[in-house]
Amino acid sequence: MKKLLKKLFYHDGNGWWNLPKNMSLKPNPPYEGPIGGPWLLRLINFITYGGKSHAGPRFYIIVGVFLAIITALEVWAFELESQLAILYIPILLILALIKFIAVVAFYMHLRFDNRFFSYVFASGMVVGTVVFSLLLFISESAYMIR
Amino acid sequence: MNETATVNNHQDEIENTSTGLSNKKLMMWLFLASDVMFFGAFISTYLIYRGKSLNGPYPSEILDIPITTVSTFVLLMSSLAMVLALHYLKENQKNKATLWILGVVILGAIFMGFQVYEFTHFAHLGLTPRTNIFGTTFFILTGLHGGHVTIGIIWMIFLAYGSHKGTLRSDNAIDLEIAGLYWHFVDIVWIIIFTVIYLISANDTPPPGAELLIH
Repeated sequence: MKKLLKKLFYHDGNGWWNLPKNMSLKPNPPYEGPIGGPWLLRLINFITYGGKSHAGPRFYIIVGVFLAIITALEVWAFELESQLAILYIPILLILALIKFIAVVAFYMHLRFDNRFFSYVFASGMVVGTVVFSLLLFISESAYMIR
Repeated sequence: MNETATVNNHQDEIENTSTGLSNKKLMMWLFLASDVMFFGAFISTYLIYRGKSLNGPYPSEILDIPITTVSTFVLLMSSLAMVLALHYLKENQKNKATLWILGVVILGAIFMGFQVYEFTHFAHLGLTPRTNIFGTTFFILTGLHGGHVTIGIIWMIFLAYGSHKGTLRSDNAIDLEIAGLYWHFVDIVWIIIFTVIYLISANDTPPPGAELLIH
């Protein structure tokens, strides 16, 4: 039983949280900038800490300012709700989606990290969106019929 | 940045595990994928019952967009502080890392302060979880989010202490990274809540004939 538990929950028998340390000090994986294309090399060097790391403080601050600007745009859209009419909700959803993607891609490092993590998170997002969209549709349809 | 620090930056990416990925990070992403379903359930419940309260106060009478905008900005900036803390920890700059983690704690606490103020203010205006369907769905959703933020703050306090004491270093920066993933997730959930509950629903008025129905 003990052996079975060890096989199930322990990696190399090191315990739950004391996972094995990195054994090989391989050199850096190939450089990945947040934006592709050689023509952006200078900009990339600026925002990614000279290309030595994934991204540097300057890049993160730029993303932070971008997020603040999008939030301001959302509130501006709120003030213009009557003028925007039917465009109001789509505009707000698009702005929220842009913020969502910026945080997930850059602050949560999915843009730089192994793609498997993106697949794991995206699977939860897709299943959640489909299930709850269906739920909303069914619920609203039932309300309309009543 | 010297070569050793550069190698340290990527230690977590070359894990000696069966998947080649950090088990801790994988576990956190799996948890976050499941938490999407958790919050998705409460957000869709809010949307299903949106505009169906038969008695007030209604969202148009009670929601305060300027205050919530400030608290949203505070939470977004806490995410910036979080990512900077991780960067400096990986760079072996202990003091800066500790300061930025404390920045996350302070900004998170300010956000919670706004939420406590908002809840108290709403209660004074007559909106509690028992008042109407809007109150129930609103308090449950934002309260659960606040619970997540509170757990994150406690976690960050421990990490700040570890960073200060030197037990949290660049070679185990993965511990801060997974806490950061949690914190950023809480942030993106708030991005959705702010849009759906506050901006989209802020002008919601009673459904036609609601007050007549209640009498």
